[in-house]
Amino acid sequence: MKRFLLSLLLVCGISSTALADYTFVVPQRAGQGTTVWAEIIAKELEPFLGEKIKIKMLPGARDIPGFNKWHNTMRDDDKTVMVSHGGNGVSFLQENVDYDYREYDSVGMMNLNIIAGKRKGADMDRPAFPAGSGMVPEAFAIALLICGPDKSVDEYVNCFKKNVTWVKGMKTAERRLAFKRGELTGTRENPATYKKHVAPDENAELWFHHGLLQPDGSHADDPNYPGLQLEILFKKRWGVTPSGDFYNSYKLVKSFRDGLQKALWVNKGNPNRDKLAAALTAMSKDPTAVANLIKKNGKYDWYIGKAGDSQRDKLLTFVTPSALENLVKFNKTALGLKSVYKEDLAK
Amino acid sequence: MTEIYVLIAGTLYGLIIGIIPGAGATTGLIFLFPFMMMFPDPYLAVVFVMAVVAASTTGDTYTGVLLGIPGANSAAATMVDGFPLALQGQATYAISAAVTTSTVNGLLWGSLVFFLLPWYTGLILIFGIPELWAFTLLALVTVTFVSNRWWIRGLIALGIGIFAGMIGVDPDTNADRWTFGWDYLADGVQLLPMIAGMFAIPELINGLKNRASTSTAKTANGTQTRQGILAVWENRWLALRGGAIGAFIGILPGLGGAMADWMAYGQAVATTKNPDVPFGKGNIRGVIGPEGANNAQKATSMIPTVLFGIPGAPFAAIIIGLFAYLDFELGTVDLAQDTKFFDSLLYGFMFATILVGVLCLWLTKYIAMIAQVPYKYYFPLLLTFVVIACVQYTGGWEDYAILFICSVIGLCAKKYKFSRPAMLFGFILAERVEALSIQMFSLYNIEKLLDRPIFWTLVLLIVVVATWGLTRRNKLDYV
Repeated sequence: MKRFLLSLLLVCGISSTALADYTFVVPQRAGQGTTVWAEIIAKELEPFLGEKIKIKMLPGARDIPGFNKWHNTMRDDDKTVMVSHGGNGVSFLQENVDYDYREYDSVGMMNLNIIAGKRKGADMDRPAFPAGSGMVPEAFAIALLICGPDKSVDEYVNCFKKNVTWVKGMKTAERRLAFKRGELTGTRENPATYKKHVAPDENAELWFHHGLLQPDGSHADDPNYPGLQLEILFKKRWGVTPSGDFYNSYKLVKSFRDGLQKALWVNKGNPNRDKLAAALTAMSKDPTAVANLIKKNGKYDWYIGKAGDSQRDKLLTFVTPSALENLVKFNKTALGLKSVYKEDLAK
Repeated sequence: MTEIYVLIAGTLYGLIIGIIPGAGATTGLIFLFPFMMMFPDPYLAVVFVMAVVAASTTGDTYTGVLLGIPGANSAAATMVDGFPLALQGQATYAISAAVTTSTVNGLLWGSLVFFLLPWYTGLILIFGIPELWAFTLLALVTVTFVSNRWWIRGLIALGIGIFAGMIGVDPDTNADRWTFGWDYLADGVQLLPMIAGMFAIPELINGLKNRASTSTAKTANGTQTRQGILAVWENRWLALRGGAIGAFIGILPGLGGAMADWMAYGQAVATTKNPDVPFGKGNIRGVIGPEGANNAQKATSMIPTVLFGIPGAPFAAIIIGLFAYLDFELGTVDLAQDTKFFDSLLYGFMFATILVGVLCLWLTKYIAMIAQVPYKYYFPLLLTFVVIACVQYTGGWEDYAILFICSVIGLCAKKYKFSRPAMLFGFILAERVEALSIQMFSLYNIEKLLDRPIFWTLVLLIVVVATWGLTRRNKLDYV
């Protein structure tokens, strides 16, 4: 027993962590998308920052606990940076989370478009699509495309439930496989993974994309996939541009997911923000670093420093009581998610 | 050149971990988690892992034969006749026979699996959601009803495992489930502490208890080595039958090496009429029969593991975790198209099998010395590595707490003979069964299912396995 306890003490000592200049907190475990992204960014950023960066992984359900922990106990440390992703943005809108983007300064963020693919020849008025909280913007887009304009949220809910097979419980690899086998007729990917998993499939094609968030708050067509933005397809089919409460909810949730797809945050007033932003700017102009980033993550625009703050502020203007209410209502009744209406956020 | 160094390192590590009493492939693989990211190339890590699997499976013969303690429970059957042979001064004879059988079967079944694995990947697209659902259920039924004698305890163990596996996020609502208000559990109970608690810690502690029973059987000269090889040639059909049994057990998801070994041992006994030396007293056929089964089983259990991400055996559950760490997600289209990955599996397993076979036959005398080092010197080191590997998730006290809880459950399960494999498989597959059930009932109705003959074949197999397991009570204790 004595030997056992001594061994345990030894272990606790050995497993203490090493020191570094900066710490990037990631809300995921090793090997997951944002962790890999953060590792690449840290490696490329170090030479421009002139200091070492350590990655600290704080994984947890839906990647919320790590962000909460940074918000509650770590953000006062001037050398600790939070790395978040689009899923955190969606959770911020519809779950009781501690973190709050309004209380941070942006170091930089990457804007991203998300693309939906479909099986060729499938009846996309009755699609089978993978579910998940990360798929909420796709659910809104599908409801708009299939059900058309000028409907109440209840009507959209009924139309969605009647026509869409919303398949729950699928992990990323499972949905890719089910899509390839034709069990799912629709799926979604980011541009890099779309090229890898959907584009080479001769039985698949692009269905729609969400467009790229612009500094003025509008969404522009993606030049890589022209004419297939949801708004354009909607107008082609229904003769009008999408608008109204339900569309506002769609715009809200897609903007928070895709506009905040990858982001670096520090606490408001952090004295190191400008230094970090300057290093990020230099890195984003370095051809070698950019090539390395594109190789793994695809090519996306950066909003650095104050431009990131502006982008965040623009996103917050989308948060209105009705947009948030409809988002939560659709999530709960059509998608079966346990979303909560955050009254304080709506104010 | 780097591949060769990695292969040698993996083989030597696997050999040592196989020899250490109470360790074996499962524990040895757990140790690797903190080091996975140190490999400059993930494919090198795959080579290393496969070398460890191949070498540890052969290496565990030493403790069984020399000390009367199995390195892993898969070597327990070899020990029955191997240890008496060692006490009679024929340790090298027994070891060389065991190593030769292991090597031959490892190479034979390794070739059939790893050379052909890329061609099996078409199954990934043939197996849809209903087939995967049935295959996963088959794994649970097999591990519960066939892998141990007490099926009611097996069911209870399975239930505990499923309960633990369902802690985390409800796939239907995406909300937290059964977390008891503890945020840490919202991401589920982590795999590593569960496996370590179920297998590694109980076996390590058991090793402490067994230290008094060790013997000091001596290894001998080259004559015995030649005699051992010759004995395998004389009993070649027995050796191949043992390998075939191991291979069959390996393909069935959920069944580990212990069962394959004991079945192979049983066939050795059953097919030997009027033995010169009674079984259990040092009959070389009792060594040759089971020893090939574990190598063959390790090879074939990689088929369900790689193709569907469903572990073929407990050690394969760790491999899934290790490979996920390296960004290789088993059972996916991406991986099925990755020829370098399959080459790495093949290279690691096959060459390590050859290398460890040569080393064991050539250097038996020196390798045996590892087995003579008192266990008390290994124990702190092994425990340290296990714990370090298990606290990689957050590094906080919660990791230690979960490991402690899982270890207590594992120790109790071992003591009271609740099937630990059933518990582990319930834990690993609970989430999958639940998700696949939701998916199947969303996408398929009975008419669509009627068009799927593989699905119905698997359902029939589930019924047959469950019935066989429930009605056949004279099984050996594999727990």
